[in-house]
Amino acid sequence: MSLKKFSELFIDLDSCNSTNKKIRILQHYFSSNEALENSWTIYLLTGKKNKRFISGRSLKSLFSEIYEYPLWLIDSCYLKVGDSAEVISLLLRNMNTEQNMKYQDVSLNELLNKSFPELSILQEDDKKLRVKEIWENIPKENHLITNKILTGTFRVGVSIGLITKSIAKLINLDEAIISHRLMGDFIPSEESYKLLIDKKINPSELNYKPYPFLLANTFEKKIIDKPINTFQFEWKWDGIRIQLIKRSGIVSIWTRGQDLVNKAFPELVEQSSSIKDNFVIDGELLVWDFKESLPLNFSLLQKRINRKVTSRSIQKSLPIIFIAYDLLEINGEDLRDSNLEIRRNILEKHLYNWLNERKGELSNIFKISDLIYPKKWEEVETFKNNSRDNGTEGLVIKNKKSIYTPGRKKGLWWKYKVDPMQLDAVLIYAKGGSGIRAGLYTDYSFALWKDGELIKFASAYSGLNNTEIKELDRWIRKNTIDRFGPVRSVKPEMVFEISFENIQISKRHKSGIAVRFPRISKWRKDKLIKDADTLENAQKLMLNK
Amino acid sequence: MREDSSYLIKYTSSGLYCELADIWIDPIKPVKLALITHAHMDHFTYGCDEYISTYETAVIIKERIGKEINIKAYDYEKEFKINGIKISFHPSGHILGSSQIKFNLAEEIWLITGDFKRQKDETCKEYEIVKTDFLISESTFGLPIFKWEKPQKTAFDITNWVNSSQEKTSILFCYSLGKAQRVLNEISKTNFKHNIYTHSSIYRINNCYKKLGIDLIDTKKLEQTKNNSDLKGSLILIPPSLNKSNFLKTFKDIQTGFASGWMSIRALKKRSGYDKGFSISDHAEWMAILKTIKESEAKNVFFYHGDSEDLKRYLKEKNSINVLDFEYKK
Repeated sequence: MSLKKFSELFIDLDSCNSTNKKIRILQHYFSSNEALENSWTIYLLTGKKNKRFISGRSLKSLFSEIYEYPLWLIDSCYLKVGDSAEVISLLLRNMNTEQNMKYQDVSLNELLNKSFPELSILQEDDKKLRVKEIWENIPKENHLITNKILTGTFRVGVSIGLITKSIAKLINLDEAIISHRLMGDFIPSEESYKLLIDKKINPSELNYKPYPFLLANTFEKKIIDKPINTFQFEWKWDGIRIQLIKRSGIVSIWTRGQDLVNKAFPELVEQSSSIKDNFVIDGELLVWDFKESLPLNFSLLQKRINRKVTSRSIQKSLPIIFIAYDLLEINGEDLRDSNLEIRRNILEKHLYNWLNERKGELSNIFKISDLIYPKKWEEVETFKNNSRDNGTEGLVIKNKKSIYTPGRKKGLWWKYKVDPMQLDAVLIYAKGGSGIRAGLYTDYSFALWKDGELIKFASAYSGLNNTEIKELDRWIRKNTIDRFGPVRSVKPEMVFEISFENIQISKRHKSGIAVRFPRISKWRKDKLIKDADTLENAQKLMLNK
Repeated sequence: MREDSSYLIKYTSSGLYCELADIWIDPIKPVKLALITHAHMDHFTYGCDEYISTYETAVIIKERIGKEINIKAYDYEKEFKINGIKISFHPSGHILGSSQIKFNLAEEIWLITGDFKRQKDETCKEYEIVKTDFLISESTFGLPIFKWEKPQKTAFDITNWVNSSQEKTSILFCYSLGKAQRVLNEISKTNFKHNIYTHSSIYRINNCYKKLGIDLIDTKKLEQTKNNSDLKGSLILIPPSLNKSNFLKTFKDIQTGFASGWMSIRALKKRSGYDKGFSISDHAEWMAILKTIKESEAKNVFFYHGDSEDLKRYLKEKNSINVLDFEYKK
């Protein structure tokens, strides 16, 4: 009996706000369940790349066809609920299901390893019958979970950290080891769970795995009380953070999101393989303009990250560079307990050796993160403010005595980002949100002036608090001019300050510009729409950056 | 079909109106003569010259507004005439005293459901099936996603919620009139063993219910001035309007819950900001609305109070009943 147990676990976790209580709940669950089921539970809870067996849309149309239920009514319900899996489970309560309880005690393994994967090879009619059979043989209280697993949308307020903690407590082992074991791809099986809870630490199992990343805190004013030479200063690159690992001759590239991205960056794998030493290096991956010696826009990097195959021509047109900034392991020796000064020293020594040995080739892809030496805190400020000149987004400040520990511990590293760019723009469209924001208009589009006309330039979802969201939602409903499907165009009346990280030319957008990470920073109730910025102002920002 | 203007009951900017009797039903502006379906304040407006309601509703209204008003009370089923139109109140199962109002003119019957529910509720009379020609139904929960838990199950969940967090003060938000009393009635049938405190607005209505013959468990009145930091392990009922108020700051280590039909949807529960949502409603949900329409044998149906677009379209497509829209009259 295990879908049932998992369902109960979900309800318990979902309605619990205390971290400690959640850990106790998980611990109890893991200790009273079989290894195989636990492995599937971890797979579902960490929810990194849960497979989607059926899309939300087809789940709705399947229901509509099976029960001859109007699709428009299902869509109306969806607008209120914002989650296809939940809508269908709510509607199933009105159906005469639970005829026989074939799946009453079905295991997660049975569903996830057999019943659900089989759906994809079935013809439409057989698929309908099978889904109907599943629904009608699973207890009603488990429908929500079943549908969420089917649509690959299972989420619950449990972080990987919480699972790490509960497993670590369960077997009384160091959290770092568990988090190490949980990194990368966790493929559910009896063995993988047993390995996870194995009290013996096997050195070889750690070969491919990255260390948990040390994360920087946001800059705190109070650190300027300390002498400036307490810290190491580097540029904050706007790329992806990775750990480049070579152990027993095998190279792996891990992102901070715990994805193995060897296939996206084969040239880095190749170059690293030819280095004589084994190592774990923490650094940043960027697409690089070798002529200007500057990083290229993040959007170009995105074109490479998710590739399964990366051709020579892509490698050539979007060349990458790896900027090394920390050495965590060298030839099997874990350096994380040494302080940053020592680690940096060893990193420099080795890196220059490698670059010397393999002239040219390696330096085209390997670079060390240059240190900056401000003499006073005022200079730090100047460096930060000029950081856009060299394509960075600010500074990283590191305590020289810091050891490398997982997570966002206080007092080790700080990111000091340059102030975002800002424009005042006019709200012109709003769209309904989904999930927790269902039923409210929470997705907004903003426009700037051009020759007396408002031209859309950015969409933003975040930045308002709940009270403001509700207030704006009411305003939107009252001031709708037109509707196109889920989108409403509204009276141009509200001005918002929009912040973003970068601005660049874009042919795809009518405005001719694209901004990165746009978000609302202020509701400018004090401003009239005539006070909003023009596209010209935006172009000026682009030139000045 | 007839012209809207010939309908016995119309929808105006002051609420539902019967022109022939010159009487409004739950008006939202002061009028001369008002029929009141029940004592919730969104159905009652100050300043009318005269009110007519059930006996229980009259008692509760007087208790709530604390002053004398000109209100005439009739028992359920008791027919009275205004301008030759026969009018009577019938139980709607919403809260104590709540009623449907039946109009009968020359053998044509109109029924206004008021707020109603079909679930069992020991704190008020059960919904009475009234046959009618024209039905004006509420549609607060007019989508098929709404389906209520059994109140016993919700009560069990509330009890469990309090029992399993004895280190905390459990604050349950629920409407002072109707919901609070129903919750108290339901949890008194579970193995609830702890103290219950009620906010003065709820405490007053409890007494009123008791006076009207409803059996309720005793609760302690929550004193406004008292230091409330030591009510650990107790259940406290408070109206939702006090959420996020300073009043709450007098408590320590609280967990909050909200008892409402909206809490049957996970997305709404998550967004509500309460620690826990308990699904319990005094309104009819989708299936109950459909059942009520069917049992009323009405040939024509109108909706008011709530989003009814989907309900109307559904019924139109089913072709089972004539769905009408009010022509809005200023």
